[in-house]
Amino acid sequence: MDLIANLATGFAVALTPANIGFCLLGALIGTLVGVLPGIAPITTIAILLPFTFSLPPASSLIMLAGIFYGAQYGGSTTAILVNVPGESSAIVTCLDGHQMAKQGRAGPALAIAAIASFVAGTFATVVIATASAPLTWLALKFNAAEYFSLMVLGLTGAVVLAHGAPEKAVAMVLVGLLLGLVGIDVNTGAPRMTMDIADLGDGIGFVPIAIGLFGIAELAVTLGRPQDRSLLAVKISNLMPSRTEIRQCIPAMIRGTVLGSVLGVLPGGGAALSSFAAYAVEKKWSRTPERFGRGAIEGVAAPEAANNAGAQTSFIPLLTLGIPGNAIMALMVGAMMIQGVQPGPQVMTAQPQLFWGVIASMWLGNLMLIVLNLPMIGLWVSLLRVPYRLMFPAIVLFCCIGTYSVGNTVFDIWVMLLFGAVGVFFYKVGAEPAPFILGFILGPLMEENFRRAMYLSRGDPMVFVERPISALLLAMALGLLVILVLPAVKRKREEVFKE
Amino acid sequence: MTLRLNVPDLAFAAFLVALGAFAFALASELSVGTAAAMGAGYVPRGLAAIVMIYGAVLGVRAMFVGRQPFPAVAWRPALLIAAAVALFAVLLPRVGLAITSIAVVLCAGLASYDVRLRENAVLAVALAIFSVLLFVSALGLPIPVWPQ
Amino acid sequence: MLTRRRTLAVLAATGAALAFTSAPASSQNFTKQVHIIVPYGPGGTSDILARLIGPKLSAAIGQPVIVENKPSASGNIGADYVAKQAGDGHTLLITDVGTLSTQPNLVRKLSFDVQKDLVPVGMVMFSPYCFAVHPSLPVSTFAELVAYDKANPGKLNVGNSGVGSVQHLLAIVIAKKYGLKWGMVPYRGGAPAVRAVVSNESNVIFNGALATMPFVKQGQLKGIAVSGDKRLPGLPDLPNFKELDMPIVEVGSWQGFLASKGTPPAMAARLNAEIKKILAMPEIANKIVELGGEVRTDTPEQFGAWIAKAIQDWGAVVKAEGIQVDG
Repeated sequence: MDLIANLATGFAVALTPANIGFCLLGALIGTLVGVLPGIAPITTIAILLPFTFSLPPASSLIMLAGIFYGAQYGGSTTAILVNVPGESSAIVTCLDGHQMAKQGRAGPALAIAAIASFVAGTFATVVIATASAPLTWLALKFNAAEYFSLMVLGLTGAVVLAHGAPEKAVAMVLVGLLLGLVGIDVNTGAPRMTMDIADLGDGIGFVPIAIGLFGIAELAVTLGRPQDRSLLAVKISNLMPSRTEIRQCIPAMIRGTVLGSVLGVLPGGGAALSSFAAYAVEKKWSRTPERFGRGAIEGVAAPEAANNAGAQTSFIPLLTLGIPGNAIMALMVGAMMIQGVQPGPQVMTAQPQLFWGVIASMWLGNLMLIVLNLPMIGLWVSLLRVPYRLMFPAIVLFCCIGTYSVGNTVFDIWVMLLFGAVGVFFYKVGAEPAPFILGFILGPLMEENFRRAMYLSRGDPMVFVERPISALLLAMALGLLVILVLPAVKRKREEVFKE
Repeated sequence: MTLRLNVPDLAFAAFLVALGAFAFALASELSVGTAAAMGAGYVPRGLAAIVMIYGAVLGVRAMFVGRQPFPAVAWRPALLIAAAVALFAVLLPRVGLAITSIAVVLCAGLASYDVRLRENAVLAVALAIFSVLLFVSALGLPIPVWPQ
Repeated sequence: MLTRRRTLAVLAATGAALAFTSAPASSQNFTKQVHIIVPYGPGGTSDILARLIGPKLSAAIGQPVIVENKPSASGNIGADYVAKQAGDGHTLLITDVGTLSTQPNLVRKLSFDVQKDLVPVGMVMFSPYCFAVHPSLPVSTFAELVAYDKANPGKLNVGNSGVGSVQHLLAIVIAKKYGLKWGMVPYRGGAPAVRAVVSNESNVIFNGALATMPFVKQGQLKGIAVSGDKRLPGLPDLPNFKELDMPIVEVGSWQGFLASKGTPPAMAARLNAEIKKILAMPEIANKIVELGGEVRTDTPEQFGAWIAKAIQDWGAVVKAEGIQVDG
C-alpha cells in the first residue's frame, strides 16, 4: 500500500523529538493567539517567520501549520466563553456555544468543540493523504460561474441561520451584501461608497465588524441587565458532554467534516462558507430545529468539525498545485520559498519526506491539541467564575488591542465602536447579526465572480446553467428556497417561533 | 383597521430605508454600465434600492402587527463602554499602550453597576502590565508602549 | 520575548563596534527604534523582504527595527503614513512597483506625491515575468499566439493581479502593438490570477518568473517568454522579451526602500550603504533568489531616477489608454 508507506515516511519525519517539539510549540502559540480576539494567526506567523529561517524546511512548516490550526481551536474557546468571534468561522460557534455557556454548559461546549475538531482533523488528514488528486481536480473545475452559484446557495442557506423572524434575516443578509461592497471594485478599480476615506479602500474590515457586532454589543447589552449576568455564574454542572450528547453529535460531526473537507479545497471563499453551511445543514436536518440558537450541542459540533476539516484541506491546493487558497496559505508559500522549497506539484515527488512529514504532523498537531485542550477546559470554565466586573474591562481592552493589530490603525477601532452601537440596535429590534455577517463575507465574492463570469462569457448569462456544477448548485439553491417558502413548512416554522 | 405600532420593527425598517438611501446616494456617482458589461455602480445601486424598498415594506407591515414599545436601553453601560473604546482610539497613538490600557480599563470598569473603585484601579494597572508583556514583549506586535 | 532578547544581544554585540565605525555626523545616526512600514498584509514579497532585512539592519545600526504592516490593496495607505512621518530616517517604507509607479498614474486623489513626499533610499530586488498560457491552447510560441488571437478573436483572456497593475498595463501595451483582441480579467492579486489560468478560467498570464516556473515545468502552464533581455537559466528554451521585440523589455516587479519627506541625503546614503551590505550577505542574497528575484542595488539618486522613469513610462500607457480607477 502506497498510502501506508507514505504515511510511514511522514511519521518518521514528524515523530522526531525536534519536530514533535516544534509541532507542540506551534500548537501552543496558535492556541494562545486564537484565544485572543482579533489577533490573527497570520500576524503571528509573519512575526515568527524570520525565526524559522534557520530551521529545516519540514520543522518550520510543521511549526507554522501548528500555529494555524492551534488558532482555530483557540478561536472557538473565546467564541464560546465570551461571545467574541475573532474570525468568520467562530461566528457560528458563538450562536449555540455561547448560549450553552450561559446555561452553565460551557464545559460540554468546549469539549465537543475540541472533540469535533479532532475527529474532523483526523478525517481530513486521511483525505489529504488519499484524495488530494480528485479534490484538486474538483477545485480546478470551479470557475467564476461555479463560485457565483456556490455563493447563491450559501446565501439562500443564510436565512436558515436565524432562529428569529426570517423576514428580518433576509433584511440582514441584504444589509450585509450592501456593506460588503464598500471599497475598491475588483473589476474596475473604482472605489465604491468609500466617502473618500482612504482606509475604506479595501472595504470595511471583517474583524472590527465582527468584534463590534458580537463582542462589544454583547457587553453593552449584558451590563445593562445585571440580573442576566448571574447566568454566567450559573452552577456549572459537568465539564464533559454526556453520553447522550455525544451520540447526538456524531452524525453532525460526520456531516460537518465531509462538508468542510470539500469546501475547504476551494480557494477563495469555500472555507468561509464551511461552518455556516454545516450549521444550516444541521438545523434543516434536525427534528427539533427550534433548539438551534438556544444551546443546541450539534450547533457547536457540526460547524467546528467543518471549520477544522476545511482549515486542513485548504492545504490541498497549496500542496498539489502550489496555489494558496487564502492569505495564510500565501504566507506559507513565502515560508516555503524562503526555505528553498518551491511549492507545487513537484513537492510530493521531489521531496516526499517534507510533503508527508507535514501531513503526518497535521494529525499529530490535532492529537496534541485535544490532549492539551481537554484538561484546559476546567481552567477555561473556571475563568467564568471570575466576577464579571473584573472580566469585562479585560474583554474591552483585548478587543481593542486585537482589532488595532489587524492593520495597525485606530481607524478600525472607530469602525468597531460604530458596529458595537449598531449591534446594540440590532439586538433591541430583534435582528440577528449572523446572516448579516454571511452576506458581508459572500457579497463581494458573489458580485466579483458574477461579473467575471459574465465578462468571460461575453455577456451570456446562460453560462450559469450550461456548466453542470454551476447548474447543480443553482438547482440546490432553488430547492432550498422552495423548502423555505412552502406554505406548510412556513406555518410550522411560525408555530415553532411563537412558542 | 387600527394602527398598532410595533416600534422595534418600525425602527429597523427606518434603519433599512435610511441605510439604503445613504448607500444609493453614495453609489450614484458610479457608472452603471449595462447588464452585459456592468459598471462599478450596477450592483451597489440595485442592492441599495432593494434594501430601501424592503425596509419600506417592513415599515408598513410594522404598523399593523401589534403594539410593542421600543425596549429600554441601559445608557450608562453602553455609553461608558463606547467611551472606553473611543479612549483607546484617541490615546494609543499619543501615549502608548501602557497608559492607554489603564485609562480604558478605568473607564470601562465604571460601566458596571457594582464597580469597586480601588479594585478597578488595581485591575487597570495589572491589565496594563499584562498587555504590554503579552502583546508587545511576547507576541512582538508593533504597538507603541510609551509616549513618543 | 525572543525578539527583545535577541535584539538586546545584538545591541550589546554591535554597540561597541558601532561607536568606532559609524560616521560622526549626527544627521546619520540612529537615536531610537526604526520602523519599516510594509504597506501590504503579511506574506507578500515586500513583507518577507522587510522581515529578512529588519534583524540585520537592527544589528547594523544598533537600534531595534520593527516591521509594521499597514495593509491596503494598492499600498497607498502605508506609503501615505510614511510620507507624513518625521523626516529623520527612522521610518522606512518598503514597497513595490505598484505603489511607486502605477498607482500615482491611476489615482488622481492620492494624498501624497511619491516623488515629492518620499525620499528614495535604494532598490532591493527585481524579478522578471514569465509569460505563459494554459496548455490546452494550441500554441507554443508568441507568433502562434498572435495568429491564434487573429483567428479566434475574443477567445483569449489575460488574468492579471488587479486593475492598473503592471501585468494589466503590460498586456495592454502588447495587445496594442500586435493588434491583439484578448480580454483583461482582473483578480484579487497574483495568486488568484495564477489559479484562474491553471484552471483555464482565463488562459494567458504574466507572472513572477520563479513562481511560475514549476507550473511550466509540470505542464500545468505552457511558457511563451520571459521578460528582460536575457533568458532564464531555469527555462532556457523560452525566448526573452528582447528577442521577441516586445514594446517594453525590462519589465517586472521590483521592491525598494524609501524614507519620509525631509530625510537628509546623508541619512539616506547611510541607510543605502547599510542595506547594500545586508543584501551582499550570502544568506540574504540566496533567500532573495529563492523568492524569485535578483538582488538589485543602486544609489538613492539612481533609485529616484528609476522611479521617475517608471512613473513616466506607465503614465504614458495609462494616459493613452484612458485608464482611470478613482470613479
